[in-house]
Amino acid sequence: MSIILQLFFNGLIAGAIYALVAAGFSLIYSTNKFVHFAHGSIIAFSAYVTYWLFSVIGLDFTLAVVLTICFSALFGVAIHYLVYFPLRKRDASPLILLTASVALLIFFESLILLLFGADVKTIGLIKVEKGMEIFGAIITPLQVVIVIVSFALLFSLWFLMKKTKIGKAMRAVADNKDVAEICGISSNKIFAWSFAIGSVIAGIAGILVAIEQNLEPTMGTNLMIKGFTGAIIGGVGSVPGAILGAFLLGFAENFGIWFLPSGYKDAIAFVILFVFLLFRPQGILGIKKQGEKQ
Amino acid sequence: MFEAYLIHLAILIGIYLIIALALQLSIGFTGQFNQGIIAFFAIGAYTSALLTLNGFPFLLGIMMAGIISMIFGFILAIPTNKLKGDYLALATLGFSFVVYAVLLNWVELTRGPLGLPGIPKPEILGFVFKDNLLFLILTVVIAVITYFVMWRITKSQFGKVLEAVRDDELMAKILGKNTERMKMYSLGISAFFAGVAGSLYASYITFIDPSSFTFLQIIPLLLIIIIGGLASLRGTVIATIIIILLPEPMRFIGFPSSMIGPMRQIIYAVILLIILIYLPKGLMGKIKLK
Repeated sequence: MSIILQLFFNGLIAGAIYALVAAGFSLIYSTNKFVHFAHGSIIAFSAYVTYWLFSVIGLDFTLAVVLTICFSALFGVAIHYLVYFPLRKRDASPLILLTASVALLIFFESLILLLFGADVKTIGLIKVEKGMEIFGAIITPLQVVIVIVSFALLFSLWFLMKKTKIGKAMRAVADNKDVAEICGISSNKIFAWSFAIGSVIAGIAGILVAIEQNLEPTMGTNLMIKGFTGAIIGGVGSVPGAILGAFLLGFAENFGIWFLPSGYKDAIAFVILFVFLLFRPQGILGIKKQGEKQ
Repeated sequence: MFEAYLIHLAILIGIYLIIALALQLSIGFTGQFNQGIIAFFAIGAYTSALLTLNGFPFLLGIMMAGIISMIFGFILAIPTNKLKGDYLALATLGFSFVVYAVLLNWVELTRGPLGLPGIPKPEILGFVFKDNLLFLILTVVIAVITYFVMWRITKSQFGKVLEAVRDDELMAKILGKNTERMKMYSLGISAFFAGVAGSLYASYITFIDPSSFTFLQIIPLLLIIIIGGLASLRGTVIATIIIILLPEPMRFIGFPSSMIGPMRQIIYAVILLIILIYLPKGLMGKIKLK
């Protein structure tokens, strides 16, 4: 019983992080209609910026977090304007944008390697604490914070999308860009906004991972693959679907190692990703739009 | 010393040329944006390494490397044939993730992250290609054969059908061509040569581990075929030489060796972005990237 509960907690914590990655990613996908793999580099860079501000320069932690969040928003918008925008101007297909985003991901991963080195870094904000025991399963206070922050952010995102003007405009562009433009919504502005908001969520995910785990140059790529898989499982064009898919992935990975050696944790994600891409590319909640090519 | 270095570079160019030509067939001539070529390269390398390590001759190893990769190519083609554009790219990318995870975790077969050391140098009919110069000759021969086969394919009726699939698949279907089967053959042939290149790579380096086959490796290959120009075989050869030699001067400027790897990736990524934005046709391309 306690094993089931422990696996449930592990799945919940993993899912909470994946959901943040997937939510930002699918927000950008739904308005921009292409796969932005460089989302992963925003996560990794934010983690390293927090590390640099807090552990190297020695700023106050709250200040470091606030600066990192501003940085990640600027970072996302800068990528949009410097790379994706000129590509869109020459009518590049989603395929070319995807290729460009893979190039960006590799560029930033190598840049982190150059700037910070390949060795694993730790922030060391909180001393290793003994976790709380709930019916035999162990969860640390920090992990509780991660789950709470994640849920709070996802709720705010839902609120933003449903209740605010900018959120409604985003959904309009996601649904039908041309009609939205006729109604006076500037789709270029909305593209930039979705990059800013998606990147802030990615930045916070990066900070959370940085406090709880170690920092490695490859962390962005790894988290991106997980978040992307979650988004594909749930339906990449739908933010709630992506969140659902991310939690499902977190549970699948952690319950999967009950049957398989723990090294196969990543393989579980890849196999699920592959199966969904082949047989249900629109995901669980995604609805294939008429006339849309697969 | 310098001579040995030049021979090493020439061998790398030869191996990259084989796999770039294979990718050119997939992307340039058939229009199938296959990002999983690294997976076939890895399957070929492991097949050949495992066979030769267990005492089988090199010729069998390299043939089986091609054939097993080709079989995987056919298998991958069955579900991915219906996919187009970025979904095809993602599914093939997903395939390379799956292969990577299996290589890392099937420890009984691949020794996982420890890799396979001590892969024997190629031996054909009692003749050992121990010297690097001899290995270069072997690589050049195989690269020339690959080039010739690709050239024949693209000039043949079959090649024309592939180009028709790329330009207008529906039209090719209307004209009675079995486009699904054509795409399957194209992916299979492409996988075959990628597997052969993998076999050469394994027996040249004599050590392989999963980290040589991460999806990062796709960037220099994509760069080669995009710079060379889609559907241009001659462009592919020139681009391979340029791309492999380009980061080399860094060694002489005096960068520490730990920095060269990431610097190379950065250079490749930046050039790829510049080409995508400003030079969508590449150097010698016939087709504009859309």
